Amino acid sequence: MATKYVGKRMTRTEDPRLLTGQALFVDDVQIPGMLYAAFLRSDYAHARLRSVDVSAARQRPGVVAVYTAEDLGDFWGHGPPLVPAPDSVEGVEFHSRTQVFLAKGKIRYVGEAIAVVYAESRYIAEDALEDIIVDYEPLDVAVDLEKALDPDAPLVHEDLDSNLACHLVQDKGDYAAARAQADLVLRRRIAIDRCAAAAMENRGLVAQWDEKSRHLTMWDTTQAPIPVRNGLAGILGLGEAQVRVIAPFVGGGFGPKIMMFLPEEVLVPWGAMRLNRPVKWIEDRRENFFATTQERGQIHDAEIAVSKDGKILGISHTFLHDTGAYNPYGLTIPLNTQSHSMGAYDVPNYHSDLKVVFTNKMITTPVRGAGRPQGIFLAERLLDLAAEELGIDRIDIRKRNFIPPDKFPYNHQIIDQAFAPLVFDSGNYVATLEKAAEMIGYEHFITEEQPRLRAEGRHVGIGIVTFVETTGVGPYEGSRVTVEATGKISVATGVGTQGQGHFTSFAQIVADQLGVSPRDVRMVTGDTSEFHWGTGTFASRGSVVAANAIHAAAVNVRGKILKLASKVLETPEEELELADGMVRVADIPRQAISLAELAALANPLRGAVEPGTEPGLESTDYYGPQYGATASGSHAMIMEVDPETMMVDIKKYVAVEDCGTMLNPLIVEGQVHGGVALGIGNSYYEQLIYDDSGQLLNASFADYLIPTASEVPRVEVGHEQTPSPLNELGTKGAGEAGTIPVPAVFAQALQDALVDYDLEILEAPMSPNKLFELMHSKKEGEV
Amino acid sequence: VRIEGEYVFDGPRDEVWGMVREPEVLATALPGTQRLDRVSENEYTGTMNVRVGPVAGAFSGRIVISDEVPPDSYTLSVEGKGGPGFVKGIGYVNLIDQGDGTTLMLYKGDVQMGGRLASVGQRLMDTVSRSMIREGLESLNEALRSRVAAKSGGQEQVGVGYMPPSEAEFAAAVAKDVAGQMFSPSRVLWIAIAVVVVVAIIAVVLISTGGG
Repeated sequence: MATKYVGKRMTRTEDPRLLTGQALFVDDVQIPGMLYAAFLRSDYAHARLRSVDVSAARQRPGVVAVYTAEDLGDFWGHGPPLVPAPDSVEGVEFHSRTQVFLAKGKIRYVGEAIAVVYAESRYIAEDALEDIIVDYEPLDVAVDLEKALDPDAPLVHEDLDSNLACHLVQDKGDYAAARAQADLVLRRRIAIDRCAAAAMENRGLVAQWDEKSRHLTMWDTTQAPIPVRNGLAGILGLGEAQVRVIAPFVGGGFGPKIMMFLPEEVLVPWGAMRLNRPVKWIEDRRENFFATTQERGQIHDAEIAVSKDGKILGISHTFLHDTGAYNPYGLTIPLNTQSHSMGAYDVPNYHSDLKVVFTNKMITTPVRGAGRPQGIFLAERLLDLAAEELGIDRIDIRKRNFIPPDKFPYNHQIIDQAFAPLVFDSGNYVATLEKAAEMIGYEHFITEEQPRLRAEGRHVGIGIVTFVETTGVGPYEGSRVTVEATGKISVATGVGTQGQGHFTSFAQIVADQLGVSPRDVRMVTGDTSEFHWGTGTFASRGSVVAANAIHAAAVNVRGKILKLASKVLETPEEELELADGMVRVADIPRQAISLAELAALANPLRGAVEPGTEPGLESTDYYGPQYGATASGSHAMIMEVDPETMMVDIKKYVAVEDCGTMLNPLIVEGQVHGGVALGIGNSYYEQLIYDDSGQLLNASFADYLIPTASEVPRVEVGHEQTPSPLNELGTKGAGEAGTIPVPAVFAQALQDALVDYDLEILEAPMSPNKLFELMHSKKEGEV
Repeated sequence: VRIEGEYVFDGPRDEVWGMVREPEVLATALPGTQRLDRVSENEYTGTMNVRVGPVAGAFSGRIVISDEVPPDSYTLSVEGKGGPGFVKGIGYVNLIDQGDGTTLMLYKGDVQMGGRLASVGQRLMDTVSRSMIREGLESLNEALRSRVAAKSGGQEQVGVGYMPPSEAEFAAAVAKDVAGQMFSPSRVLWIAIAVVVVVAIIAVVLISTGGG
């Protein structure tokens, strides 16, 4: 079927509401009699809690209640594991330790919640926090990722023998044999440090308990309202139908808002029930650095084995993943790294030895990219170094190693983050790389521009890399599509919306099927009372899993419309067409009936219907992929570096994306722009710095540098479309793609710009300081 | 944060030694001190109320003096905590008689911080701590001079003519120092941070002026 709207560059239908302040965010929810919660957080990274004295806080006027772990009584407990444990994986050692509702007996990271205050205002609540006297007995800390595994390292969880949370080894082929035959083996230490998600809107919650109907309503900045509802019902001892979770407009998710059951998400509704008053908690920015999860801390001891013609014979890495004080998110991040450390390449032999380590730091969970940037950084950096060593052009060496288009589906013979076989469904890597090379002007730059500028004494470099991204993972999403009596369409789906343009791109799918304008499609996302089956918005899956469920439901409704119209218009279905909110006989346009009239006919008030008739023009349907769709792309940049100040200036940035069928290229480009901005942060600016005692030293936007308009260049986006064979629409995810390759392309360009200094950039993020130190140590080394 | 420095007092070593072991004198040199009690020969406890601009917080702390070699040297350990976080440190103080009626103080220390002090104040900690220590030592020296003058003038009363700085004057002097050393003093955010850090350093000063 030819599409009228899918693939169209439509501006977003939700934007007028957002831009005029008419969109509901959690903090907009005001309920009379509402209390405000505030959380006392630990100043220590590791300490025994000798006592917590809340008596003065309870006396403060306006304070309604103050609770510590002891006060929670039997309710006190651990959050649920958010993803399954890898029990099915052979030879895995895995220790699950999930976060507690409030710290009891011991503190495990700076910011861990110790007590909660409910008061008549946030001001009073925060003042009351200062009244609480905590007697800590500081303990030695396990902060350094490598030292945390020393035999005498302080234990984050004393019931374990060490800080090892997981050990998992994956093999493909025989790396040792490949290495023995290689012409060149390069071994490097590659380190990627922590970053924040730093969504524009911090987390927020409002919970309202209705004692008479015994029903809990919670507004939550979550990316996954349905799992939150299901989890909360369990934790609070309610039936799922007694809990409604609403994720209204949310100002950015990026991972840490998935479904966390961090203390706030549990104690705000619990407090609302216990005190029988609505409760609000809005996280402030500083709190966000301590109370919301982070990602990316990994250290790799990595190796590549290549033949002299640049063919990869194998890749091997032993790596440590910093999970922080608890590991509710299991192995999702490091398994993604394992799945992406072969990049887009046909790597016959692979060895990956993963150790996940508990440390006295904030918990890590996926942040846009989720382990993939680390893997791509590793694969691309090693390949760059090999190319240099062998004197092969970097584009050329990539082309020699890509998985060719005829090898899909390509089974990597290892497991992915869902413990299922890692299979790449489709791709055309040469095409995206060539397009990126053309858009950035690769040949011209390296043969003319760069030599000319270098002769002028300028330090200019180019980078070009390819990446893959596993997207659109299961298990499933669902949707209900309804033709309303007005002839307009209502669509409900379970995923939440945090700025992805769902209201527009999903409506485009429905509009094509039902012959209406996308502006006549009312989307509801993220409200469990509207749709309560599904998992959520993460893993770049909305445009794959939710979109295909919506597509399926819309196709069903189209079928119902045609069936009924055929009867009414006394014309075979094949001769009917849907357009402009009408069903018409194709050859006789005036012989037509509106969707509104058909909707009324489908829901009669009197009379008999045929047995088995379903009322209305409505359908609910689901989509669950066999495995994820594999997106890919190539990014390229031209950079100039000032070796005096170490400041970098990105002169040109090109991103070629292949996310299969594009529902709306404008939205895809917006996603890419945002992703690249985070990627640039991850490359040179955004690093969470912990000191030796586990204190986070840059918990403010004065010290934690988010790239601004002056650091983020104009990003030119090019498209390739290799439709996924796994789903009807042919879509692949695009939400994380922009971020994933940036540290790799940035490092390559930086190294190229400073070619005279003979540096190797093996760390992300770099920073002006680190670059200075690297150049300095190099100079000293030469002396 | 590592702290290291020296300071010359305009008075003989015995006087300086005596003074730095007197809580009342220390307290006046540290405006905002509510209380500094000597609970045993070598132990002081105290509370300090700090209200500077938008940041308010009370610190309570304990100072223990050890390895004392009068009037030459001692070690002190400090623990303080309050709304803005905690400090924990150890300091080493040496007093050297310069033979000309002045006394050279050498001090060094290592301070660990947590909470807001560390997470928001880190960037300015070095600058502010240097400035706060100097301000504190200068007001102590001021007290010393008036004490020495009183003695040589035959007056019995100690401390006449010495007016300790008010809390506001002290904070203003430090803020001015810090602003002068910062890249862009015009940025309001930085000033806000500086103010937070002032709170920290007043606690830090407990160490070094406790020794000086």
